[in-house]
Amino acid sequence: MTGSLVLKGVRKTYGNVVALEGIDLEIPAGQVLGLIGQNGSGKSTLLKILAGLTVPDEGQIVLDGQQVVLASAAAASRYGIGMVHQEQSLIPNLTVAENIFLDKPHPAKRTGIYRWAALNKAAQEQLHKISVELPTRALVEDLRFAERQQVELAKVLAIEELVDRPPIILFDEPTSVLTPEEIKLLFKQINRLRGNATIVFVSHRLEEVLEISDRIVVMTDGRKVAERDAGSVDRNELYELMVGRQRVTELRSDRQPAAPAFTPVLKLEKVSSGQHFRNVDFELRRGEILGVAGVLGSGAEEVCRAVFGAERIDAGKIMLDGKAVAPRNPRTAVRQGIGYLPADRRAEGMLPSRSLFENAVLTFGLDYGWRSLVLRRGKERPVALEWMKRLKVKMHTPFAPISSLSGGNQQKTVLAKWLMAKRLKVLLLDHPSRGLDPGARDDLFAVIRQQASNGLSIVFVGDTISELLELSDRIVVMRDGEITAHFDLAAGAMPKEEEVVAAMV
Amino acid sequence: MGNALDSTLIAAIGRSRSGMVRGLGPLAVLLALVAISAVIAPGVIEADSLVSFLSDAAPIIALVIGGTLPILAGSIDLSVAGVASLTGVLVVTLNPIFGPWTSIVVVLIAMAFGATQGLLHSWLQLPSFIVTLGTLSMLSGLALLLSNATAEPIPDDDFFVTYLSGSTAEIPNTVIALIVIIAVLGLLLRYLRLGRDIYALGTGERAAIMSAVNVVAVRTTIFAITAGCASVAGLFLISITAFSSPTLAGNLLLLSIVGVVLGGTAISGGVGGLFPAVVGGLITSWLRIMTVIIGVQPTAQNIVFGLTALVAVALTTDRSKLGIIK
Repeated sequence: MTGSLVLKGVRKTYGNVVALEGIDLEIPAGQVLGLIGQNGSGKSTLLKILAGLTVPDEGQIVLDGQQVVLASAAAASRYGIGMVHQEQSLIPNLTVAENIFLDKPHPAKRTGIYRWAALNKAAQEQLHKISVELPTRALVEDLRFAERQQVELAKVLAIEELVDRPPIILFDEPTSVLTPEEIKLLFKQINRLRGNATIVFVSHRLEEVLEISDRIVVMTDGRKVAERDAGSVDRNELYELMVGRQRVTELRSDRQPAAPAFTPVLKLEKVSSGQHFRNVDFELRRGEILGVAGVLGSGAEEVCRAVFGAERIDAGKIMLDGKAVAPRNPRTAVRQGIGYLPADRRAEGMLPSRSLFENAVLTFGLDYGWRSLVLRRGKERPVALEWMKRLKVKMHTPFAPISSLSGGNQQKTVLAKWLMAKRLKVLLLDHPSRGLDPGARDDLFAVIRQQASNGLSIVFVGDTISELLELSDRIVVMRDGEITAHFDLAAGAMPKEEEVVAAMV
Repeated sequence: MGNALDSTLIAAIGRSRSGMVRGLGPLAVLLALVAISAVIAPGVIEADSLVSFLSDAAPIIALVIGGTLPILAGSIDLSVAGVASLTGVLVVTLNPIFGPWTSIVVVLIAMAFGATQGLLHSWLQLPSFIVTLGTLSMLSGLALLLSNATAEPIPDDDFFVTYLSGSTAEIPNTVIALIVIIAVLGLLLRYLRLGRDIYALGTGERAAIMSAVNVVAVRTTIFAITAGCASVAGLFLISITAFSSPTLAGNLLLLSIVGVVLGGTAISGGVGGLFPAVVGGLITSWLRIMTVIIGVQPTAQNIVFGLTALVAVALTTDRSKLGIIK
């Protein structure tokens, strides 16, 4: 049958690290294959091989019974294979139409001279195919994230017309930054494609994989450890297959609720910031975890950034321990005891080519120095190492560049940087679990809970509602820059997910 | 688990010298160049020649060290040659006012100028390339203006220049001064937060800002140090020539950047260091000797150095991170 894809004995190494080993995989045409595994389990490498971004050291790729070599993304797209990237592959300063046809020949640009009208019309057709209305002349950088992903999807699906076989579409964690509504829309697209295209779907959210896939492949340490029909497996079994241990959810009641009646550590009074949010009020008590729910554009992220001094504040008051503070920049915020784990880890959280140590001690190294002036590596390094150990960072040596680790371990190291502080009062977590597998996420959350019990106050902008319900003592919900709902979980008012969603959209 | 932690720590201490190992490539190049020269002209490796080589190399090494710091932090300082030339002129012009202390005052003026330039660049967010290209032109112009475009003898009462022109136990005092500068900078970079922040800025400025790195203070400090090094390089030059010429260091800008690159410091920032800068400075100086040995006429030297710069960049660029080249 055409459109079927078979991998035989695929192996790939990077230096001494074996990324993939003996992968045999068969993806029948028209099916949706869910691919799950922890960070560093080889999923991304496997997708890269299929997308022609890297070449396996050993093994074969067989398409419709014929062995093929996918030496480049262009080669892959000639065979009808396209990938929707996790970190989008669009060129921001080109238009939507240019991006959609960037990697494909099209009559409207055959001679190298653009015929804009024809190109825009063709792009419009591609967007209509997925029922999306977007201006084709707009620059991609002016679009919102979810809109860009729709352009990316249209770009990949335009491959359909290039080949006479059903296309193979690879989705690399497409849902991690989408709102529940947008996820529904994406799933509608995938369901529309089901039967006409072969789909590989990677996600860390097991519920999603269960919902959308026909079959599910579990990977661990570069090997395929299980393959199941989606109907015959449940979330807990997948978790166990993937992490290798049973899921232990710390019950909410295990945690001592924060001591009430103290002056709040952090208090926001009618804080506004331009377009981002207006009149935000909330209080954060010592040792409390305050969850902030909100879709992209709701202002949840921006509130965190404003408290950290990374976003301008136009009106309102921020009080820390009862005293008004005005963090003008991250440095003043840090001096007052505020830390921030950014959502954009790569650009704002870490120094990619520097070592784990250097990343961990960057901000608070001098807290362990001589008179806050002279660094003492002998004092700071054991502390950094201890935090990495408690966060279960998987590494060969703390002198390796942080970029050599998987996303989850990078995030843990970035968190270690903040936990090294001796006088941290408030830690703002902006989508801390983005791109993390469930195992790494649980490691991270366990330490966060523990720190809260030790008295650290935490603001937590969550990726999903279930994780917000799992971790927070209280939840505020934001929509269009304003707080729309407030749930006090510690007081026993456990809201249903639907109630939170209702306040979000 | 406790054992694993200890062994990691031990491994960690062992690994902390890996930075030096990376610097050994350029060092091997240096030794190879010296060996080749020794075969062609055995005289160059006699003790006398080496001593005079070091005193010739001192100004270039000082310029390379100064030029390396901003590049490590993701900026660039093109004004170093202008600072060095103007230093020579100022030592003459300001002598009536400051007497024997003139050269020290000039170095301090240079550092104040560098700090201002760093502040302009980081606080007003002006690209360092343009800021320092502008000041290079201004400084060179000022040097010509103040000296009426003529070379003048250095007043012999200037105590620091007089010291530099002498030698202690056969070792030129310029070399001693250079070693002191290297040692002090090395200690500063290793034991102050500054060293770490420089690499952080060169690797990812946004992440550095979000990690509470004081960008303005770091850049201001670096540019002050750089101008200080450039000014000392100017003093080294006039202590050798005993004359101040407004175009004294004019042709040293290219050489200093060649030196930065030859030492293995990446022009894109974040990779390199003090040791690479010293090696790079030595290689560049030795290349000057080699052009003489193999008989390149002085007028054609710049062609050779321009070519060397291209080859050096081609050899030292880390293509494993290939992607965006600007």
